[in-house]
Amino acid sequence: MKSCFITLPTLTAAQMAESQLRRSGIQCRIQRSPKWMEEQGCGNGITVPFDVFDKCITILKNNRIPYKKAYLKDEGGKMEVLEL
Amino acid sequence: MIYLDNGATSFYKPQSVKQAVIKAMHQCASPGRGGYKAAQNAGKTVFRCRELAGALFDCLPDRVVFTSNCTHSLNMAIRTLVKPGDRVVVSGFEHNAVMRPLYALNAKIYIAGRELFDNKDTIRKFEYIVKQGVDAAVFTHCSNVFGYILPIKDMAVICRKYNVPFIIDCAQSAGVLPISMKELEADFIAMPGHKGLLGPQGTGLLLCSRLPEPLHFGGTGSQSALYEMPEYLPDRGEAGTLNVPGIAGLAAGISYILKTGTNQILLEERQAARAVGEFLGQNGFAVFLGEPQTGTVSFIPHTDCEHAASVLDRHGIAVRGGLHCAPLAHESVGTLDTGTVRLSFGVDSSEKQVFEVKKILKKVMNEL
Repeated sequence: MKSCFITLPTLTAAQMAESQLRRSGIQCRIQRSPKWMEEQGCGNGITVPFDVFDKCITILKNNRIPYKKAYLKDEGGKMEVLEL
Repeated sequence: MIYLDNGATSFYKPQSVKQAVIKAMHQCASPGRGGYKAAQNAGKTVFRCRELAGALFDCLPDRVVFTSNCTHSLNMAIRTLVKPGDRVVVSGFEHNAVMRPLYALNAKIYIAGRELFDNKDTIRKFEYIVKQGVDAAVFTHCSNVFGYILPIKDMAVICRKYNVPFIIDCAQSAGVLPISMKELEADFIAMPGHKGLLGPQGTGLLLCSRLPEPLHFGGTGSQSALYEMPEYLPDRGEAGTLNVPGIAGLAAGISYILKTGTNQILLEERQAARAVGEFLGQNGFAVFLGEPQTGTVSFIPHTDCEHAASVLDRHGIAVRGGLHCAPLAHESVGTLDTGTVRLSFGVDSSEKQVFEVKKILKKVMNEL
Protein backbone atom coordinates (compact mmCIF):
# COMPACT_ATOMS: atom_id res chain seq x y z
CA MET A 1 0.00 0.00 0.00
CA LYS A 2 1.27 3.44 -0.86
CA SER A 3 1.98 5.79 2.02
CA CYS A 4 3.25 9.29 2.54
CA PHE A 5 5.87 10.66 4.88
CA ILE A 6 5.39 14.27 5.99
CA THR A 7 8.32 15.98 7.69
CA LEU A 8 7.75 18.46 10.50
CA PRO A 9 10.14 20.92 12.13
CA THR A 10 9.90 19.64 15.71
CA LEU A 11 8.94 16.52 17.58
CA THR A 12 6.13 18.51 19.23
CA ALA A 13 4.75 19.46 15.81
CA ALA A 14 4.81 15.78 14.82
CA GLN A 15 3.01 14.88 18.04
CA MET A 16 0.39 17.58 17.50
CA ALA A 17 -0.09 16.30 13.96
CA GLU A 18 -0.50 12.74 15.20
CA SER A 19 -2.98 13.85 17.84
CA GLN A 20 -5.10 15.90 15.40
CA LEU A 21 -5.10 13.21 12.72
CA ARG A 22 -6.13 10.54 15.22
CA ARG A 23 -9.03 12.76 16.29
CA SER A 24 -10.09 12.74 12.64
CA GLY A 25 -9.87 8.95 12.53
CA ILE A 26 -6.58 8.84 10.61
CA GLN A 27 -3.98 6.46 11.95
CA CYS A 28 -0.44 7.70 11.63
CA ARG A 29 2.99 6.98 13.05
CA ILE A 30 5.77 9.29 14.16
CA GLN A 31 9.24 8.37 12.91
CA ARG A 32 12.64 9.96 12.86
CA SER A 33 13.23 11.34 9.37
CA PRO A 34 15.89 9.59 7.27
CA LYS A 35 19.07 11.64 7.33
CA TRP A 36 18.96 12.43 3.58
CA MET A 37 15.59 14.15 3.95
CA GLU A 38 16.71 16.69 6.50
CA GLU A 39 18.91 19.40 5.03
CA GLN A 40 18.97 21.11 8.44
CA GLY A 41 19.78 17.98 10.40
CA CYS A 42 17.70 15.76 12.69
CA GLY A 43 13.95 15.84 12.35
CA ASN A 44 10.72 13.93 12.69
CA GLY A 45 7.89 13.02 10.42
CA ILE A 46 4.61 11.17 10.26
CA THR A 47 3.64 8.30 7.99
CA VAL A 48 0.06 8.44 6.70
CA PRO A 49 -1.86 6.38 4.10
CA PHE A 50 -1.62 7.89 0.61
CA ASP A 51 -5.39 7.91 0.06
CA VAL A 52 -5.89 10.43 2.90
CA PHE A 53 -2.82 12.54 2.18
CA ASP A 54 -4.75 15.61 0.97
CA LYS A 55 -7.06 15.41 3.97
CA CYS A 56 -4.04 15.21 6.27
CA ILE A 57 -2.49 18.33 4.77
CA THR A 58 -5.79 20.18 5.16
CA ILE A 59 -5.98 19.15 8.83
CA LEU A 60 -2.42 20.33 9.45
CA LYS A 61 -3.15 23.65 7.75
CA ASN A 62 -6.41 24.14 9.63
CA ASN A 63 -4.70 23.50 12.94
CA ARG A 64 -1.72 25.67 12.06
CA ILE A 65 0.71 22.81 12.54
CA PRO A 66 3.91 23.60 10.64
CA TYR A 67 5.16 20.98 8.19
CA LYS A 68 8.04 20.98 5.77
CA LYS A 69 7.98 18.44 2.95
CA ALA A 70 6.06 15.34 1.92
CA TYR A 71 7.25 12.16 0.20
CA LEU A 72 5.37 9.42 -1.55
CA LYS A 73 6.53 5.94 -0.65
CA ASP A 74 5.57 3.18 -3.10
CA GLU A 75 5.12 -0.51 -2.34
CA GLY A 76 8.80 -1.13 -3.09
CA GLY A 77 9.91 1.49 -0.55
CA LYS A 78 11.06 4.00 -3.19
CA MET A 79 10.39 7.59 -2.16
CA GLU A 80 9.74 10.72 -4.21
CA VAL A 81 8.98 14.27 -3.22
CA LEU A 82 5.35 15.34 -3.42
CA GLU A 83 4.39 18.83 -4.49
CA LEU A 84 2.63 20.67 -1.70
CA MET B 1 4.18 19.08 60.08
CA ILE B 2 1.45 21.49 59.10
CA TYR B 3 2.85 22.97 55.93
CA LEU B 4 1.80 26.56 55.28
CA ASP B 5 4.54 27.63 52.88
CA ASN B 6 2.88 26.72 49.61
CA GLY B 7 3.82 30.17 48.31
CA ALA B 8 7.41 28.91 48.19
CA THR B 9 6.66 25.42 46.93
CA SER B 10 3.91 22.89 47.46
CA PHE B 11 5.11 20.12 49.74
CA TYR B 12 2.30 17.60 50.03
CA LYS B 13 1.93 16.40 46.43
CA PRO B 14 -0.63 13.86 45.23
CA GLN B 15 0.66 10.29 45.28
CA SER B 16 0.19 10.17 41.50
CA VAL B 17 2.92 12.83 41.12
CA LYS B 18 5.50 10.71 42.92
CA GLN B 19 4.47 7.59 41.03
CA ALA B 20 4.78 9.42 37.69
CA VAL B 21 8.32 10.58 38.54
CA ILE B 22 9.41 7.06 39.41
CA LYS B 23 7.75 5.58 36.32
CA ALA B 24 9.54 8.11 34.11
CA MET B 25 12.88 7.27 35.70
CA HIS B 26 12.29 3.63 34.84
CA GLN B 27 10.94 4.08 31.33
CA CYS B 28 12.12 7.35 29.82
CA ALA B 29 15.33 8.38 28.07
CA SER B 30 15.66 11.77 26.35
CA PRO B 31 12.76 13.00 24.20
CA GLY B 32 13.45 13.65 20.53
CA ARG B 33 16.96 12.25 20.75
CA GLY B 34 16.31 8.89 19.11
CA GLY B 35 13.66 6.60 17.67
CA TYR B 36 14.02 3.77 20.21
CA LYS B 37 11.36 2.86 22.73
CA ALA B 38 12.73 4.70 25.79
CA ALA B 39 13.17 7.92 23.77
CA GLN B 40 9.63 7.54 22.43
CA ASN B 41 8.33 7.04 25.98
CA ALA B 42 10.03 10.28 26.99
CA GLY B 43 8.57 12.09 23.98
CA LYS B 44 5.07 10.88 24.81
CA THR B 45 5.45 11.78 28.48
CA VAL B 46 6.56 15.31 27.68
CA PHE B 47 3.87 15.81 25.04
CA ARG B 48 1.16 14.63 27.45
CA CYS B 49 2.25 17.35 29.85
CA ARG B 50 2.14 19.94 27.06
CA GLU B 51 -1.38 18.83 26.18
CA LEU B 52 -2.55 18.97 29.80
CA ALA B 53 -1.00 22.41 30.27
CA GLY B 54 -2.68 23.49 27.03
CA ALA B 55 -6.02 22.26 28.38
CA LEU B 56 -5.60 24.05 31.71
CA PHE B 57 -4.34 27.32 30.25
CA ASP B 58 -6.23 27.40 26.99
CA CYS B 59 -3.33 27.27 24.54
CA LEU B 60 -1.81 24.96 21.96
CA PRO B 61 0.70 22.35 23.19
CA ASP B 62 3.58 23.81 21.18
CA ARG B 63 3.15 27.13 22.98
CA VAL B 64 4.23 25.49 26.24
CA VAL B 65 7.97 25.82 26.83
CA PHE B 66 9.39 23.85 29.75
CA THR B 67 11.83 25.63 32.01
CA SER B 68 13.39 24.88 35.37
CA ASN B 69 11.21 27.30 37.39
CA CYS B 70 9.17 30.49 37.12
CA THR B 71 12.26 32.68 37.51
CA HIS B 72 13.81 30.98 34.49
CA SER B 73 10.57 31.58 32.54
CA LEU B 74 10.43 35.24 33.57
CA ASN B 75 14.05 35.81 32.63
CA MET B 76 13.45 34.36 29.17
CA ALA B 77 10.32 36.44 28.64
CA ILE B 78 11.85 39.65 29.99
CA ARG B 79 15.01 39.23 27.91
CA THR B 80 12.78 38.86 24.86
CA LEU B 81 10.65 41.95 25.38
CA VAL B 82 12.91 44.33 27.29
CA LYS B 83 16.09 45.83 25.92
CA PRO B 84 18.64 47.76 28.02
CA GLY B 85 17.21 51.09 29.11
CA ASP B 86 13.62 50.31 28.06
CA ARG B 87 10.68 51.80 29.97
CA VAL B 88 8.74 49.08 31.79
CA VAL B 89 5.62 49.32 33.93
CA VAL B 90 5.16 46.88 36.80
CA SER B 91 2.68 46.57 39.66
CA GLY B 92 3.57 47.50 43.21
CA PHE B 93 3.56 43.85 44.23
CA GLU B 94 6.29 42.30 42.11
CA HIS B 95 8.67 39.59 43.23
CA ASN B 96 12.42 39.86 42.74
CA ALA B 97 12.05 37.34 39.91
CA VAL B 98 10.64 40.28 37.97
CA MET B 99 12.52 43.17 39.55
CA ARG B 100 16.04 41.78 39.42
CA PRO B 101 16.03 40.88 35.71
CA LEU B 102 14.66 44.38 34.99
CA TYR B 103 17.36 46.01 37.11
CA ALA B 104 20.00 43.89 35.40
CA LEU B 105 18.80 45.35 32.09
CA ASN B 106 18.93 48.85 33.54
CA ALA B 107 15.27 49.27 32.62
CA LYS B 108 13.42 52.45 33.60
CA ILE B 109 10.85 50.99 35.96
CA TYR B 110 7.47 52.65 36.57
CA ILE B 111 5.43 51.29 39.46
CA ALA B 112 1.67 51.34 39.05
CA GLY B 113 -0.76 50.62 41.89
CA ARG B 114 0.58 50.20 45.38
CA GLU B 115 -2.71 50.05 47.27
CA LEU B 116 -3.35 46.59 48.66
CA PHE B 117 -6.70 45.04 47.60
CA ASP B 118 -7.63 48.16 45.60
CA ASN B 119 -8.21 47.05 42.03
CA LYS B 120 -9.68 50.37 40.93
CA ASP B 121 -6.54 52.17 42.01
CA THR B 122 -4.32 49.55 40.34
CA ILE B 123 -6.19 49.82 37.03
CA ARG B 124 -6.30 53.62 37.07
CA LYS B 125 -2.61 54.05 37.81
CA PHE B 126 -1.59 51.29 35.43
CA GLU B 127 -3.47 52.89 32.54
CA TYR B 128 -2.11 56.32 33.41
CA ILE B 129 1.47 55.08 33.09
CA VAL B 130 0.86 52.90 30.01
CA LYS B 131 -0.74 55.90 28.30
CA GLN B 132 2.43 57.96 28.85
CA GLY B 133 4.31 55.43 26.74
CA VAL B 134 6.18 52.34 27.88
CA ASP B 135 8.02 49.62 25.98
CA ALA B 136 6.67 46.67 27.96
CA ALA B 137 4.61 45.69 31.00
CA VAL B 138 5.32 42.95 33.50
CA PHE B 139 2.86 42.23 36.27
CA THR B 140 2.03 39.57 38.76
CA HIS B 141 -1.33 37.83 38.90
CA CYS B 142 -1.16 37.53 42.64
CA SER B 143 1.07 38.93 45.38
CA ASN B 144 3.21 36.20 46.91
CA VAL B 145 3.22 38.07 50.23
CA PHE B 146 -0.38 39.19 50.66
CA GLY B 147 -2.38 36.95 48.33
CA TYR B 148 -3.81 40.04 46.62
CA ILE B 149 -5.24 39.05 43.21
CA LEU B 150 -4.51 41.78 40.71
CA PRO B 151 -7.01 42.71 37.97
CA ILE B 152 -4.96 41.11 35.19
CA LYS B 153 -7.81 40.95 32.69
CA ASP B 154 -8.22 44.74 32.85
CA MET B 155 -4.48 45.25 32.76
CA ALA B 156 -4.21 43.00 29.70
CA VAL B 157 -6.96 45.01 27.96
CA ILE B 158 -5.05 48.22 28.69
CA CYS B 159 -1.82 46.77 27.27
CA ARG B 160 -3.57 45.65 24.10
CA LYS B 161 -5.32 49.01 23.75
CA TYR B 162 -1.96 50.83 23.75
CA ASN B 163 -0.06 48.06 21.88
CA VAL B 164 2.26 47.38 24.78
CA PRO B 165 3.70 43.84 24.90
CA PHE B 166 3.25 42.24 28.29
CA ILE B 167 4.24 39.38 30.55
CA ILE B 168 2.15 37.97 33.39
CA ASP B 169 3.84 36.34 36.36
CA CYS B 170 1.52 33.55 37.48
CA ALA B 171 3.88 32.15 40.12
CA GLN B 172 1.19 32.16 42.79
CA SER B 173 -1.91 31.68 40.69
CA ALA B 174 -1.19 28.75 38.34
CA GLY B 175 -3.28 25.84 39.57
CA VAL B 176 -5.32 28.07 41.86
CA LEU B 177 -6.97 30.68 39.65
CA PRO B 178 -8.35 30.26 36.13
CA ILE B 179 -5.86 31.45 33.49
CA SER B 180 -6.63 31.62 29.78
CA MET B 181 -3.80 32.42 27.40
CA LYS B 182 -6.35 32.85 24.61
CA GLU B 183 -8.43 35.35 26.55
CA LEU B 184 -5.54 37.34 28.02
CA GLU B 185 -3.56 37.44 24.75
CA ALA B 186 -0.40 37.94 26.76
CA ASP B 187 2.92 37.78 24.95
CA PHE B 188 4.17 35.49 27.69
CA ILE B 189 2.80 33.90 30.84
CA ALA B 190 5.37 32.53 33.29
CA MET B 191 4.71 30.00 36.01
CA PRO B 192 6.39 27.41 38.19
CA GLY B 193 5.52 23.73 37.96
CA HIS B 194 6.26 23.01 41.61
CA LYS B 195 3.84 25.34 43.41
CA GLY B 196 0.12 25.31 42.66
CA LEU B 197 0.57 22.89 39.77
CA LEU B 198 1.89 20.33 42.27
CA GLY B 199 4.80 19.12 40.16
CA PRO B 200 8.30 18.44 41.42
CA GLN B 201 10.85 21.19 41.97
CA GLY B 202 12.95 21.95 38.90
CA THR B 203 9.89 22.42 36.71
CA GLY B 204 8.48 25.59 35.21
CA LEU B 205 6.51 26.71 32.18
CA LEU B 206 6.56 29.64 29.83
CA LEU B 207 3.42 30.01 27.73
CA CYS B 208 4.38 31.83 24.55
CA SER B 209 2.33 33.80 22.03
CA ARG B 210 5.52 34.65 20.17
CA LEU B 211 9.01 33.28 19.74
CA PRO B 212 11.15 33.87 22.82
CA GLU B 213 14.80 34.82 22.70
CA PRO B 214 16.59 31.78 24.11
CA LEU B 215 18.42 32.13 27.41
CA HIS B 216 20.31 28.92 26.79
CA PHE B 217 21.69 27.71 23.50
CA GLY B 218 22.36 24.10 22.60
CA GLY B 219 20.93 20.87 21.33
CA THR B 220 17.22 20.45 20.77
CA GLY B 221 17.12 17.19 18.82
CA SER B 222 15.88 19.16 15.81
CA GLN B 223 17.51 21.01 12.90
CA SER B 224 20.85 19.86 14.26
CA ALA B 225 22.85 21.00 11.24
CA LEU B 226 22.14 24.63 12.13
CA TYR B 227 24.30 26.57 14.55
CA GLU B 228 21.40 28.87 15.39
CA MET B 229 18.54 27.85 17.66
CA PRO B 230 15.44 26.66 15.75
CA GLU B 231 12.87 29.27 14.84
CA TYR B 232 10.10 27.02 16.09
CA LEU B 233 8.30 26.60 19.39
CA PRO B 234 8.86 24.95 21.78
CA ASP B 235 12.38 23.94 20.73
CA ARG B 236 13.66 27.50 20.61
CA GLY B 237 13.24 27.81 24.37
CA GLU B 238 14.30 24.29 25.33
CA ALA B 239 18.01 23.78 24.73
CA GLY B 240 19.51 20.74 26.42
CA THR B 241 17.96 17.65 27.95
CA LEU B 242 14.57 18.24 29.52
CA ASN B 243 13.73 17.28 33.10
CA VAL B 244 11.59 14.34 31.99
CA PRO B 245 10.91 12.84 35.43
CA GLY B 246 9.95 16.31 36.66
CA ILE B 247 7.71 16.91 33.67
CA ALA B 248 6.08 13.50 34.18
CA GLY B 249 5.30 14.50 37.77
CA LEU B 250 4.07 17.88 36.59
CA ALA B 251 1.67 16.17 34.18
CA ALA B 252 0.24 14.20 37.10
CA GLY B 253 -0.05 17.41 39.12
CA ILE B 254 -1.87 19.24 36.32
CA SER B 255 -4.11 16.23 35.84
CA TYR B 256 -5.04 16.43 39.53
CA ILE B 257 -5.84 20.16 39.15
CA LEU B 258 -7.99 19.52 36.07
CA LYS B 259 -9.96 16.86 37.96
CA THR B 260 -10.38 18.89 41.15
CA GLY B 261 -10.94 22.27 39.49
CA THR B 262 -9.25 25.54 40.38
CA ASN B 263 -12.49 26.94 41.78
CA GLN B 264 -12.65 24.24 44.44
CA ILE B 265 -8.97 24.58 45.27
CA LEU B 266 -9.22 28.36 45.60
CA LEU B 267 -12.36 28.11 47.72
CA GLU B 268 -10.80 25.76 50.27
CA GLU B 269 -7.46 27.55 50.48
CA ARG B 270 -9.14 30.94 50.81
CA GLN B 271 -11.53 29.74 53.52
CA ALA B 272 -8.63 28.36 55.53
CA ALA B 273 -6.54 31.53 55.16
CA ARG B 274 -9.47 33.72 56.12
CA ALA B 275 -10.36 31.64 59.17
CA VAL B 276 -6.80 31.69 60.51
CA GLY B 277 -6.31 35.34 59.54
CA GLU B 278 -9.46 36.41 61.37
CA PHE B 279 -8.38 34.42 64.41
CA LEU B 280 -5.04 36.23 64.46
CA GLY B 281 -6.81 39.58 64.02
CA GLN B 282 -9.12 38.82 66.95
CA ASN B 283 -6.01 38.22 69.05
CA GLY B 284 -4.45 41.57 68.41
CA PHE B 285 -2.20 41.01 65.40
CA ALA B 286 -2.11 43.24 62.33
CA VAL B 287 -3.41 40.91 59.61
CA PHE B 288 -3.68 41.71 55.91
CA LEU B 289 -7.07 40.43 54.85
CA GLY B 290 -9.10 41.75 51.94
CA GLU B 291 -10.70 41.04 48.60
CA PRO B 292 -9.81 39.65 46.16
CA GLN B 293 -7.40 37.34 47.99
CA THR B 294 -6.11 33.80 47.59
CA GLY B 295 -5.19 31.35 50.34
CA THR B 296 -2.17 33.42 51.34
CA VAL B 297 -2.29 35.75 54.32
CA SER B 298 0.40 37.78 56.08
CA PHE B 299 0.52 39.20 59.60
CA ILE B 300 2.90 41.31 61.64
CA PRO B 301 3.93 39.56 64.84
CA HIS B 302 4.75 41.42 68.06
CA THR B 303 8.27 39.98 67.93
CA ASP B 304 10.73 39.70 65.06
CA CYS B 305 9.04 37.91 62.16
CA GLU B 306 11.84 35.34 61.80
CA HIS B 307 11.61 34.61 65.53
CA ALA B 308 7.83 34.16 65.25
CA ALA B 309 8.32 31.80 62.29
CA SER B 310 10.81 29.74 64.29
CA VAL B 311 8.40 29.55 67.24
CA LEU B 312 5.74 28.18 64.92
CA ASP B 313 8.25 25.76 63.43
CA ARG B 314 9.03 24.40 66.90
CA HIS B 315 5.34 23.69 67.28
CA GLY B 316 5.00 21.95 63.93
CA ILE B 317 3.81 24.75 61.65
CA ALA B 318 6.01 25.58 58.65
CA VAL B 319 5.64 29.24 57.64
CA ARG B 320 7.91 31.87 56.17
CA GLY B 321 8.93 35.11 57.83
CA GLY B 322 10.82 38.04 56.32
CA LEU B 323 10.47 39.80 53.00
CA HIS B 324 9.58 36.78 50.85
CA CYS B 325 11.88 37.97 48.02
CA ALA B 326 9.39 40.77 47.39
CA PRO B 327 10.71 43.99 48.93
CA LEU B 328 8.60 46.03 46.51
CA ALA B 329 5.38 44.51 47.84
CA HIS B 330 6.48 45.14 51.43
CA GLU B 331 7.42 48.71 50.55
CA SER B 332 3.99 49.24 48.98
CA VAL B 333 2.23 48.07 52.14
CA GLY B 334 4.65 49.62 54.64
CA THR B 335 6.09 46.39 56.04
CA LEU B 336 9.59 46.69 54.61
CA ASP B 337 11.11 47.35 58.06
CA THR B 338 9.22 44.69 59.98
CA GLY B 339 8.64 42.03 57.35
CA THR B 340 5.67 39.74 57.91
CA VAL B 341 4.91 36.13 58.70
CA ARG B 342 3.20 34.54 55.73
CA LEU B 343 0.81 31.64 55.91
CA SER B 344 0.11 30.17 52.49
CA PHE B 345 -2.36 27.34 52.38
CA GLY B 346 -2.29 24.51 49.87
CA VAL B 347 -4.39 21.70 48.47
CA ASP B 348 -4.25 19.86 51.79
CA SER B 349 -6.07 22.67 53.61
CA SER B 350 -9.13 21.57 55.56
CA GLU B 351 -11.28 22.49 58.53
CA LYS B 352 -9.27 20.04 60.60
CA GLN B 353 -6.02 21.77 59.59
CA VAL B 354 -7.48 25.16 60.49
CA PHE B 355 -8.57 23.78 63.87
CA GLU B 356 -5.04 22.47 64.54
CA VAL B 357 -3.41 25.72 63.46
CA LYS B 358 -5.68 27.75 65.74
CA LYS B 359 -4.98 25.39 68.62
CA ILE B 360 -1.22 25.82 68.23
CA LEU B 361 -1.51 29.58 67.73
CA LYS B 362 -3.51 29.86 70.94
CA LYS B 363 -0.80 27.96 72.78
CA VAL B 364 2.12 30.07 71.51
CA MET B 365 0.35 33.42 71.17
CA ASN B 366 2.48 35.07 73.88
CA GLU B 367 5.70 34.15 72.09
CA LEU B 368 4.74 35.67 68.76
